[in-house]
Amino acid sequence: MERAENIGVATWSRRSTRDRAGISTRSFAAILIIAACLSAAIASWLPLQASIVTVFLFAGPHNWFEARYFLMRLPARFGRSRNFFVLAFAGIGGLTAAYMSLPVLYYTNVWSAANWPDLIAGWNTMMLLWISALVLIRGRQKAQRDWFWIIPTACVLCSLNWLGPELFSLAIVYVHPLVALWFLERHLQRTKPEWLVVYRRCLMILPLLVLGMLWQLSRSPSLNDDNGLFWRITQHAGAQLLPSVSSHMLVSTHVFLEMMHYGVWIVALPLIGATGAIWNVKTIPIASHSRGFPKLICAFLICGLLAVAGLWAGFSANYTLTRDIYFTVAMAHVLAEAPFLLRMV
Amino acid sequence: MKRTLILSAAIAGLLAASVYAFADIAKPKPSPAARQPVFYTGLTVTTDAKSYEARLQISQETLKRIQEAAARNGEDLSMTQRIVHSSSRTMIAGVFMFLAVSFAGVWFARSKQRRPHKVFASVLLVAIVLGVATVLVRANAGPPGYIRWQNLPQALKDGKATSGGVDIEIVPGDDNIKLIIPLRKS
Repeated sequence: MERAENIGVATWSRRSTRDRAGISTRSFAAILIIAACLSAAIASWLPLQASIVTVFLFAGPHNWFEARYFLMRLPARFGRSRNFFVLAFAGIGGLTAAYMSLPVLYYTNVWSAANWPDLIAGWNTMMLLWISALVLIRGRQKAQRDWFWIIPTACVLCSLNWLGPELFSLAIVYVHPLVALWFLERHLQRTKPEWLVVYRRCLMILPLLVLGMLWQLSRSPSLNDDNGLFWRITQHAGAQLLPSVSSHMLVSTHVFLEMMHYGVWIVALPLIGATGAIWNVKTIPIASHSRGFPKLICAFLICGLLAVAGLWAGFSANYTLTRDIYFTVAMAHVLAEAPFLLRMV
Repeated sequence: MKRTLILSAAIAGLLAASVYAFADIAKPKPSPAARQPVFYTGLTVTTDAKSYEARLQISQETLKRIQEAAARNGEDLSMTQRIVHSSSRTMIAGVFMFLAVSFAGVWFARSKQRRPHKVFASVLLVAIVLGVATVLVRANAGPPGYIRWQNLPQALKDGKATSGGVDIEIVPGDDNIKLIIPLRKS
């Protein structure tokens, strides 16, 4: 029986990843730097257009790759990690449902618009407490580690959240894309340690690129957001919350981070073999295990592919509405990253 | 035991008295609603000896932003205004900050025996540096807005331009455009 605590060893095959990613360290670094610079240039030059095209093409597929990656990290039997996974899935389900109900409450006027930030702050607090609980449970499984620091840290974040709930939510929008880079770092540490130093050095270029974009675009005029779609894109990047900041700068920065996020999930992790052969479910423990569910996993992945196709069709039919729905439902994948990242720490 | 009981009774008495003391506070008089600026921008006052009429020049971009701000009726609150806007949220934030400091103390006490003192010395040093930096930042805060306008009379006499910040307010009525300069008597 495969236990949760052994899942890391079972699925981090170095040999297979070396065979799959037959590129040198220099090539890897060059690809990273070129991709980052190119993304920054496109995001700065045509922010709105890049945002539309990027979300249209990559939003769905990146969720599919991410779901497949998480399935690979999911143990066939939870064992000692039962509490961790129960809390993780309960949190993902409950918080996503609560997040999806927020627009309903808003449009049905159940909650006063004046007190809207309170609701957002409440949801953010629940999320922070949920992550803290996961960290504490995970910390107990690690010998010689005291992760009690998460409680004061979470309290500080909760405090900041209650001071500016909308700004805190905006911070999540900007921080979430960076989590993918952390996933890649953890994966490289286990499967390609020889790339790790180069990767960390390459990461140093990111703040430089972001600072360069901020410096270059801070004085640029705000984007023309006179139609519904452009307005939504600028609002998503925080134009309303930060009226004194150029919306061009905000949208460009957000699109750049999103491009990096999609790049990691769709290109980098599959390239180093982190997701396995995408058509082969035997690399997924809960499918390959003798008491696993291969048909269910197959059906889930096929339904995922259909959902990606459905998302493309929705974007083609009504981009604005589909984008709104997508970014509401996609909160589930943002939340799911927390427990699976913790499993890798 | 007797002493504890007396102390508890005294504290309870004080707490009970405070309720009456609060009840004696007069109801605050409603203050007139302060006029909310809808937009903040820069203003330059300059003279032109060749002009026959005073002119007010507004760039297209600024005009657009003023229109948008006016349409929102000044709801574009600054970050500080957002924070002080809700007392309940500020209180909850304070409670969490209190909890953060408390739990940080517990964590410090728990891990004191296990971690080297150098780590805590580093953390303390960083905190001191940040504290000192905060003092410096506050010391570097810009002068109040009216300082920039103090030399306006002399500048007008000399025909020089004077620049400063200006809050744009939308006032009721049909009066002329009014520019109020914050000149202080020295």
